Amino acid sequence: MLLNYIGAFLLIVFGLYIILVKKNLIKIVVGMSLLDTGINLLLVSVGFRPGGTAPLFMNDLKPGSFFVDPVPQALTLTSIVIGACVTALALSLVIKVKEHYGTIDADKVRRLNG
Amino acid sequence: MNGYSSILPLMAIMLPFLAAFIIALTGNKALGLKRVLAVIFTFIPLLAVILLFKPIIENGHIVSYWLGNWVPEKTWAIGIGLEIDAFGLFCGLIITLTCFLSSIFSIRYMEKDNGLEKYYTMFMLLTASMIGFVFTGDLFNMYVMLEIMTFAAIGLTAFRNHKYKSIEAGFKYIVIGSLGSSLILLGTVLIYAQAHTLNIAQISAILHGNYNAVTIFALALMLTGYAVKAFLVPCHTWPADAHMSAPSSISMLLSGVMSKTGIFGIIRILYMIYRSKCVAAPSMEFLMIFWGTITMLIGASMAIIQTDFKRLLAFSSVSQIGYVIVGFGVGLSAKTSVAVTGTMGGLYHMLNHAMFKSLAFLCAGAVLYRTGTTDTTKLGGLAKKMPYTTVLFMISLASIAGMPPFNGFVSKWLIYQSTFEAGYWPVTIIALLVSVMTLAYFIKLAQSVFFGKIHKEHENIKEIPWSMRVPMIVLAAVCIFAGTFWNVISDKLIEPAAYAIYNIQGYIDVMFNKGYAQNMFNHEIPIPKMTRAMAGYWSPINWLLLFVVLIIGFIVIASLLSKGNKKESIIDLSDTKYDTFTGGEKEYFSHMAGNDLFWGLKHQFRGYFKTLKNAHSGIVNDYVLWVAACAAVVTIYLFAVL
Repeated sequence: MLLNYIGAFLLIVFGLYIILVKKNLIKIVVGMSLLDTGINLLLVSVGFRPGGTAPLFMNDLKPGSFFVDPVPQALTLTSIVIGACVTALALSLVIKVKEHYGTIDADKVRRLNG
Repeated sequence: MNGYSSILPLMAIMLPFLAAFIIALTGNKALGLKRVLAVIFTFIPLLAVILLFKPIIENGHIVSYWLGNWVPEKTWAIGIGLEIDAFGLFCGLIITLTCFLSSIFSIRYMEKDNGLEKYYTMFMLLTASMIGFVFTGDLFNMYVMLEIMTFAAIGLTAFRNHKYKSIEAGFKYIVIGSLGSSLILLGTVLIYAQAHTLNIAQISAILHGNYNAVTIFALALMLTGYAVKAFLVPCHTWPADAHMSAPSSISMLLSGVMSKTGIFGIIRILYMIYRSKCVAAPSMEFLMIFWGTITMLIGASMAIIQTDFKRLLAFSSVSQIGYVIVGFGVGLSAKTSVAVTGTMGGLYHMLNHAMFKSLAFLCAGAVLYRTGTTDTTKLGGLAKKMPYTTVLFMISLASIAGMPPFNGFVSKWLIYQSTFEAGYWPVTIIALLVSVMTLAYFIKLAQSVFFGKIHKEHENIKEIPWSMRVPMIVLAAVCIFAGTFWNVISDKLIEPAAYAIYNIQGYIDVMFNKGYAQNMFNHEIPIPKMTRAMAGYWSPINWLLLFVVLIIGFIVIASLLSKGNKKESIIDLSDTKYDTFTGGEKEYFSHMAGNDLFWGLKHQFRGYFKTLKNAHSGIVNDYVLWVAACAAVVTIYLFAVL
């Protein structure tokens, strides 16, 4: 269980590191996606209970069995959808940046400054 | 609660969403119908908000609605609840009014663009998500609405995608904006892990007195995340790009209204979820006042050195948001009467900023519509060609600079007074200084765009059409009304909203049952008395009369003088006999460019301005670093003091 939290933390840190350091705009988008993935892992780990079953009401539930928290799973789905939207929109903007600037180097895409 | 008032908030959220999908489905046919749809479906939420005034403001109720009738089970929230108190309604009024006016302005303003079905789809999404954000009572729902809002705003920023600046601004916005959203989501997750619920009312009841390291970390993350949305320094780098690149009808929403949603989030966190940690806590008061002061100072300094009309307005927005945050920072003070004055000042400035900044952006849009540029070095002398726009811009100028009969004065006065009474007198001085700077850069803007000599290529321009003038006139009327009849605004809007901010117990009880909050808290949470004793009385009517007299006097004298001048000094410069006196040089056009009006000031402080200019390097990695560093600093500070 601790491993999940460590993994989530590492994913978030790596994502942030990529956004901060990499100059290629596509890599920045990859970093954003990684950051999102880390948060999703954290989110789904929060709702996990050791030994719990999937939160479905079935007829053959054994006595004494219990569910994992279903709310974080619903939230994770929402968050995944939003993350996919972010990636798609950002990548389409990168295509347009390439059309206008001829480059996707963050150091050169800086006409709006000051 | 009677039936109609509880269904109204849902209608205000769902109908614009529905309109967005209808517009998207019909494709690029029947543009006129889409325009009408947009106006109608932004008017309906406005109507809903106005109808909600009676139960919420007059009767003092808090309206709630459980979606799908998933009411709490054993006082445990399981569904998504909408909850509208006076503060939410106040923000809802700002949002719906400006969206409605923007939809009217868009009719003619956007007529030359293609792909308008996408514009209107995203416009309706933006409207609906902003209303949903302030009406919801669910923390995760707030995040979702915020994301829809950000997407719609990015799409609209990059709408004119044949221009390089729209694309670049859109990309920077999505990187920084989604980083902010990620911080908010992370904070939400951490709070959920502690409280096991997402209902704001229940979270604040459960967390009360049970704060630990995780919740404080969540507070730091969410504060920074919402600071990105409300563009507090140093997370203020994206609005300048985005607001200058978006169409003006959208810039007005981004700058005037979307920033208020960030402030709404900050208020809900500080005053509701972390009530016992933040209210009457000097360390939090210091943090917010310090943050606001830095924001107003840097925003105004950056605005002075801008040469683009809309970019200047965007930095001006940053500086005005600083005032609002300072007001709410004082609201966290332990001295309740000062705190109330500060909160009222912050609320009043939220309303005023939305009005005068929207008006200023619409003026920029009007100039762009007729001349095709917003670069102040290429503009000048539009006053004769566009008299309405000029007068409306001057009203916006007077309001934002805080001249007495206009609305900016009232709110700034409240903020000056509350900071002084709270013992933060250096902040009062900086706020006054920033107000002077605000006047300076707006004068520069007015001088370089509307006065001086007109450029040759602009000699044939006309005044903008009436459908664009009417929204501007409405905004200007609100500016004057809110400044002159501040008693009415204060009674009907500001005081109920300020009361609602502090009325955490009522907010929680409405969602569950009476006495639930007191049961959880074990004691009564005091609500400070809404007093205007500290607010400083003054008589706006006299100022208005004085203002009108001065204006009339000025017009009379000016017309007399100009008549006199016409008789005597008509010198034909083309006549060669004057060459003896002038040396024979050709008389050339010597309009002082807008960026030169304060060249002396800029030269004296060139080190300071140059550092600031270089710091805003335009590289997206740097901006992300600023946000990350801000999150780190806030986290360390909160762990140190809480």
